[in-house]
Amino acid sequence: MEIAVDKIGDVTVATIPVDELDASNAAELKRDIAPILEANTRLVIDLRPLQFVDSSGLGAMLSCLRQLSAKGGDLKLCCLSKQVRAAFELVRMHRIFDIFGTRDEAIRAFQTQGTKAQ
Amino acid sequence: MNGRAIAAVDAVFEIEESIRRHAKYSLGKSWRDLSQYDKFRAVALAVRDRMMDRMLATEQRYRQADPKRLYYLSIEFLIGQSLGNNLCNLGIRDSCRQALSNLGADLEEIEGSEPDAALGNGGLGRLAACFLDSLATLGMPGYGYGINYEYGLFKQEIDNGYQREKPDNWLAPGTPWQIARPDEACMVPMYGRIEHGVDRHGGYNPMWMDWKLLIGVPYDMLIAGYGGRAVHFLRLYSARSSHDFDMQIFNDGDYLKAVEQKIASETITKVLYPSDAVIAGQELRLAQEYFLVACAVRDIVRRFEQNHSTFREFSSKVAIQINDTHPALTVAELMRILVDEKNLSWEQAWKITQETLAYTNHTLLPEALEKWPVPLLEHVLPRHLQIIYEINRRFLEQVEAISDGDNARLARMSLIEESTPKQVRMANLAIVGSHSINGVSRIHTESIKTSLAPEFFRFWPERFNNKTNGITQRRWLLKVNPRLADLISSEIGTGWITDLYQLRALENLAADAGFQAELDRVKRENKENLARIIHDSLRIKADPDSLFDVQVKRIHAYKRQLLNVMHIIDEYLSLIEDRKLPTVPRTYVFAGKAAPGYWLAKQIIKLICNVGSVINHDTRASEWMKVAFIPDYRVSLAEKILPAADLSEQISTAGTEASGTGNMKLALNGAVTIGTLDGANIEILEEVGKENMFVFGLPAAEVRSIREQKSYRPWEHYARNPHLKRVVDSFSSNLFCPHEPDLFAWIFSSVLDANDEHFHLADFTPYIEAQEKAGNTFRERGRWIRMAILNVARMGKFSSDRTVTEYAREIWGVKGSTPPD
Repeated sequence: MEIAVDKIGDVTVATIPVDELDASNAAELKRDIAPILEANTRLVIDLRPLQFVDSSGLGAMLSCLRQLSAKGGDLKLCCLSKQVRAAFELVRMHRIFDIFGTRDEAIRAFQTQGTKAQ
Repeated sequence: MNGRAIAAVDAVFEIEESIRRHAKYSLGKSWRDLSQYDKFRAVALAVRDRMMDRMLATEQRYRQADPKRLYYLSIEFLIGQSLGNNLCNLGIRDSCRQALSNLGADLEEIEGSEPDAALGNGGLGRLAACFLDSLATLGMPGYGYGINYEYGLFKQEIDNGYQREKPDNWLAPGTPWQIARPDEACMVPMYGRIEHGVDRHGGYNPMWMDWKLLIGVPYDMLIAGYGGRAVHFLRLYSARSSHDFDMQIFNDGDYLKAVEQKIASETITKVLYPSDAVIAGQELRLAQEYFLVACAVRDIVRRFEQNHSTFREFSSKVAIQINDTHPALTVAELMRILVDEKNLSWEQAWKITQETLAYTNHTLLPEALEKWPVPLLEHVLPRHLQIIYEINRRFLEQVEAISDGDNARLARMSLIEESTPKQVRMANLAIVGSHSINGVSRIHTESIKTSLAPEFFRFWPERFNNKTNGITQRRWLLKVNPRLADLISSEIGTGWITDLYQLRALENLAADAGFQAELDRVKRENKENLARIIHDSLRIKADPDSLFDVQVKRIHAYKRQLLNVMHIIDEYLSLIEDRKLPTVPRTYVFAGKAAPGYWLAKQIIKLICNVGSVINHDTRASEWMKVAFIPDYRVSLAEKILPAADLSEQISTAGTEASGTGNMKLALNGAVTIGTLDGANIEILEEVGKENMFVFGLPAAEVRSIREQKSYRPWEHYARNPHLKRVVDSFSSNLFCPHEPDLFAWIFSSVLDANDEHFHLADFTPYIEAQEKAGNTFRERGRWIRMAILNVARMGKFSSDRTVTEYAREIWGVKGSTPPD
């Protein structure tokens, strides 16, 4: 899976390139996003193309969050479709992720955090 | 030609054109090439067009007014055939008949070719269907939510007296009534595990992970109210796999396994469970129940959110009725959505849930009260089990506060039964989660308060109430008995169609010789019809002048078809051994299905058939008695039998039948009831008067007392009454099973057992006396017909319009409206 990566200041934005994330490609996502998680601590995952996610896909997202948290980083999500948002709500994952409507809002949230931290 | 006549001709022309158009453009054939079923489809589609316009107009009207809406959740909707009913309610049956005549076809034949939508077992499902008719007729925004079973209740065939079950693949030829709504499909997760975590604020955050996903696809069946001014829908869900195939498995080369998984997902809505089947512990049934609940609640919340931004308004805009415990998971599902997905606090969510939900209990039989093993519930719905435990914890705290350390009380009221394995009591869940708990007849509601849930009643007396069942007169008189409907309308007008109390006006005609003669003629013609059906299906010649003694309902021990057979045997043996002639020639008509795994009920069918075979072949009895077990009882068959009945058998053991609705349908069609003081029989008696009904048997209080004191002595009855002895002995004599010796010996033991829960021998003598009285009365034609007229005249209370109006006023807070013509 070819994950597009953009660098905006110290924030990295990774865009998931698939419209369905399920048992058939969740492992692939985990494998291909691993180097990005390694290399970054402030990550936004842009889910704009995604229209469907099942529990395997949600599991993959949770694993991303845990990996980043383990090394003191943070992950934010943006641009969830209505259906994908509903899947997050279904399992209460919207309570552990910071979810934003747009990519800019997610980046801004990191920047505000950064300012506060300073 | 006046304006009205021209309009009528136009209506006929329009329908004819519409039918032709659908034949050509929907079915791709010319009219003359259509099969009978295709003709039905073309007519149904033409009718559906008219309903569609009105449904859209109704929805538009409701959207503007934003009224409170009712959602009726039921695992069964026993719709039967729809064409005739829709034509009646739209007021276009005559026009349609004429249009078809112009096309060289017969409306009744086309109506007859429609398969029954047998999405229910009996009373509970048919009640739900009657309620939808009343809601639409009264203009109350109310919608049914159910399951689109691919296979309805099995078809019954009788082979040498034994019931054989055949699958009822009613959807196979495609039904013209359903409108698929794939755009409103919803996700239904099941299985998985709970991952215990913390949220962003450090709070406990259980996450439901690794579930399997089903898709619920809605199919709407339109429901036209009488006059067609409001058209609602019944939303039935089919399960679909979330993907065509699991592509991973497919890519790994295991194509068959991928297909199998897809089929397994779609199995959820494959088949309706027969009632009385042992379903406890059956994972598929639990999955079915949750599937219904998940789809319905998701859809209800979606609709609410279209027009409202805060859930504070939810219970003022939404009422949900839980029809028996099958949809009781609604309590946990609504809590889950409000707490997990909508971020409401537990307290806010609980208040909304309780204010929104109401529960109807339908049975006191302990074996019919649903319980689910905790390990199974945890396996299928892990998050819901957590929620149920939390509801229980908070509830038991409340109970404990007033219980003075009465741990036994806590154990009885708990949602969890401390058995091995532990079980979730679904009735307790429904009671705790609802603001209203109702029974379906007065005696039944009293039994709920005193026997089923006395401690809950003491805890929340204000929540318990009665709503005596009802039936829709549009189907059960106007449609099924056009001769009687026309006769009534010619005398008192048509107001009774929407206000059944107006039938009271017939009381004045009860002694009118002319009206009596007309009613007699109508009944006779209906009996001729039924006699033809009996002859066609069984080759039995039923005499339309004989008393048609009818017991049609599910076959079950508590309904006591056996007691009826014992009377028949007594009549027969008295005739051939004592030369005592019956009071009147009778045709005994039975119909009903036994659950496939219910051995006793299937034996009763065999007994009826064997007794019938002996009697029907005995020339000594041929002038006096015939016994007919008509196979495959279903709504459309009931529609043929009920108008022809003289005597309605409602003889359940007192205290066992929640209400019954067959009793109401038969009385409305001019049958006189012979019955026990059980269910709604008691209220029918109050309405029609004891002089117009044959009441017999132990009352419920006495039955209870005998049970408690263990004072039943069947041998004493046996020894005291030689007639009874002869009947009971016949079960061990092989008289009715010459080719299968000892087949019915179990009945001899069973009715002489002090543990016979249905007290056949105690009620036998009073039953025989009541039957004798009925027979003698039937011979006095004027008196009998007067009774029949008064039964019809006094059925006003038993309209489902009355029932639904009470629910709306006292439980739902939903209002009716009179839409413009």
